[in-house]
Amino acid sequence: MDLLEYQAKELFRQMGIPVLPSQRIDHPTDLKGLRIPFPVVLKSQVYTGARGKLGGIRFVENTIDAIAAAQAIFHLPIMGKYPKVLLAEAKYNPEREFYLAVTLDPSSRRPLLLGSQFGGIDVESSLKHMRQVVVDQEFSPFYARRLALKMGLQGNLMRSVSALVEKMYHLFAERDLDLVEINPLAVSSSGELMALDGKITVNDAALGRQPDLAALLATIPAQAGLPVSNLNWVAREGNIGVLCNGAGLTMATLDLLHKAKGKPASFVDLGADYRQCASTSDLQDRLKQGLDLLIQEKGVKVICINLVGGVVSCLQIAETIASWLKWQPANRQLPTLVVRLVGDQFPAGRGLLAAMDIPVYESMDDAIAETVGLTSATAAKPGKPPSLLLASA
Amino acid sequence: MNFTADSKVLVQGIAEALGSLHVPIMRAYGTSIVAGVSAGYGGTTIEDIPVFDLVEQVLDITDHIDTTVIFAPPYEVLDAALEAMAAGIRQLILITEGVPPLDMVRLLREAEATETLVVGSSSPGVIVPDQILLGTHPPYCYTPGPVGLISRSGTLTYEVALELTRAGLGQSIAVGIGGDRIHGSSFQQWLQILEEDDRTEAIVLIGEIGGDSEEQAALYIAETIDKPVVAYIAGTTAPKEQTSSHAGAIIASQIAGLGAEIGTATSKLAAFKQAKVPVADRPSKIPKLVEQALAKSRTE
Repeated sequence: MDLLEYQAKELFRQMGIPVLPSQRIDHPTDLKGLRIPFPVVLKSQVYTGARGKLGGIRFVENTIDAIAAAQAIFHLPIMGKYPKVLLAEAKYNPEREFYLAVTLDPSSRRPLLLGSQFGGIDVESSLKHMRQVVVDQEFSPFYARRLALKMGLQGNLMRSVSALVEKMYHLFAERDLDLVEINPLAVSSSGELMALDGKITVNDAALGRQPDLAALLATIPAQAGLPVSNLNWVAREGNIGVLCNGAGLTMATLDLLHKAKGKPASFVDLGADYRQCASTSDLQDRLKQGLDLLIQEKGVKVICINLVGGVVSCLQIAETIASWLKWQPANRQLPTLVVRLVGDQFPAGRGLLAAMDIPVYESMDDAIAETVGLTSATAAKPGKPPSLLLASA
Repeated sequence: MNFTADSKVLVQGIAEALGSLHVPIMRAYGTSIVAGVSAGYGGTTIEDIPVFDLVEQVLDITDHIDTTVIFAPPYEVLDAALEAMAAGIRQLILITEGVPPLDMVRLLREAEATETLVVGSSSPGVIVPDQILLGTHPPYCYTPGPVGLISRSGTLTYEVALELTRAGLGQSIAVGIGGDRIHGSSFQQWLQILEEDDRTEAIVLIGEIGGDSEEQAALYIAETIDKPVVAYIAGTTAPKEQTSSHAGAIIASQIAGLGAEIGTATSKLAAFKQAKVPVADRPSKIPKLVEQALAKSRTE
C-alpha cells in the first residue's frame, strides 16, 4: 500500500532526508494561515504519478490565488480520485533532477538500489540511464557509493548522493518497505540536494510490526471503507458471484467463467489453508462472511462456490452453507447456488445440499457450465424488471 | 533434494494452530516426524511427538534431521529458519503466509551461505505421493507416477493433481514454491531438480499472472530442460490492473531485460510459446497435454 506524498515526506524528514518546508492543507481556507512564504506549490495528494500533467500541481504567488487554486485542485479528479488533502510546499528551482530508489528485486531476492542523473516526469522514457546495484550481503555504505559512481557522479556530489541513498536504505529496512523512491531529487547549482517528490510503498505483511505506519494508513479516508475482514473481495459488473479458497484457484475459476461467456460480478477469495489463523471453525466463518458479501451485490443471480481441499471436509462445508441459508430472512430473494467441492466426505456433503435443491459437482468444468447456463437462461428470458424485484422484497 | 519415506522430519511451530491441524495428516501419511519445537512446550508431547524448546535439543534424541517444516507465525519464521540452519538442517519448508520480504532476504542470505534448500514461504510444501507429506497438500488428490508438479499456488495445485490422478497420471512430486514475492527456491531451481530426478518423466508448471517467475522459467526451459514441460497460467482473462506507475518496479523489470509488459498473461503466454512449451487453457486439459508430451518423448 502506498503512503501519500506528505506522509512519505514526513518519514523522509525524520530520517534526515532533505525536504522543503511544507504544510498540510485540509481545506482551502487553511491557506490563510500559511506559514511558508510565497511563491508556493500546491500539490494534490492522490496516488498517481501523472498528477502534474493532469493539473494537480499549481504554482501560486499570493493567498487569494492560492485559495482559488486549492478549490480547483480539491474538485479535480485524478484518474477518478479526488484528493482529501493538499500539500503546500515552498517553490524550488533545481538545476538538475536525479532519480533514486530502493526496492526489492524478486529475481536476485535482494534489495536493489536504483539511480539516474535523468529524473523527473520522464524518468520512464530515459531508462537507458538507469543504474542499479544489488545489495547482496549485509548493507554497508559502499553499496550506496557504488551506485553513485555508476551514475557517473564524482567528488562532493558523489559523496552527498551516496549519503542520501544510505538514509533511504535505512528507512527501507527499518520500516519494512517495498519501495522508497525520490523523483525528482533536485540538485541546485551549489550541489544542495532536495527531495521534491517521494513515494513510499509499505509492505502489507509487515504492518503488524510497524504500528506507526499502520496508524498513518488508517488516517487515509479513501482506504477506510474497505471491508475489515481478512477476505480478498473485488466487485465488478456482471451477474455471477464467485467464492473460492486460494488466489490461483480463484483466478482459474474466473478464467473458466469468462471463457464460457459468463459474467462474473464479484468474487471472494477465502484465502489458502496456510493462513496463520486457519482453523476449521475459522474457514466456516469466512465462508459465511463471503456469502454475506456476495449477496449484497444487486446484480448477482448465481453464486458459484468452488472450494478445494483443506482440512475442512465437504460435509462441514455443506453444513455451513445449509446453516447460512437457514438464517436468511424468508422473504429475501437469494441468488441460486452452484457448489463444487473437493475433499473428504464428498457424498455426505452432496447429499445434504441435494436435499435443499442445491447441486454439488465433483468437476470444476461441470460447475462452470451449470453456472453459465443458469445466468444466460435468466438473461434470455424477459424477466421481471429490477424495480419490481425491489418492490416485492 | 532428499524427500523419501525414510527422511527424518522436524516440525517447528508444532503447537501453533496451523501446525496442530496438519501434523496429524502428515503423520497419518507416513511422514516420520521425529520431534517438534515450540517455545514453552518443551517436555510435552503432541500427537505422541516429543516437543522441545530449541532445535539443538532435538539432536539429543536423533543424530540428524533431513527436513524441517515451519508453521511458526509470520514474524517468527526468520528466527525458526536461522535456528534450523544453525543446527545443520539443510532442507526447510516454510508453510506460513505473510513473512515480511526483508525477513526472507536475510533468511535466504544464510540459506545460500549454508547451501540450504528453502521452499516457500506461503507454500503448501512438498508431497512425494505414497512416500512423504511435508505441508498441507491433501493426500486424496495425489497418486504416485511420472509427473513432477511445480506451482506458485496452493489449492490450484491440488486441483491440477486431482485432474492428473483422475486421468490415471500419477505424480513423482508436487512442490508449491510459494505465493509471496520472494521465493526460497525458484521455478528454475525446481526445473533443474526435476530434470535430474529419475522418477520424473514430465513436468507440469502452474503459474499465475504477475511477477516475472513464468517468463524466467520459460527462458530456462528453452535453454536447459530436456524433459517435456506443460504449463498452465491462472488469471489470463483478468482485467489489466490500473498501472500504479511504480517507477521502481517498472524499471526493475525492464532492467531484467524482459520488456515492459512483464507479468501480463500476454507476456507469459508468449514466453512459453517461444520456449515451445504447450500451455493448457484450463486445468482439465492438462492431462491430455501431458499424455501427448510423454508419448512424444518416449518415442524420441
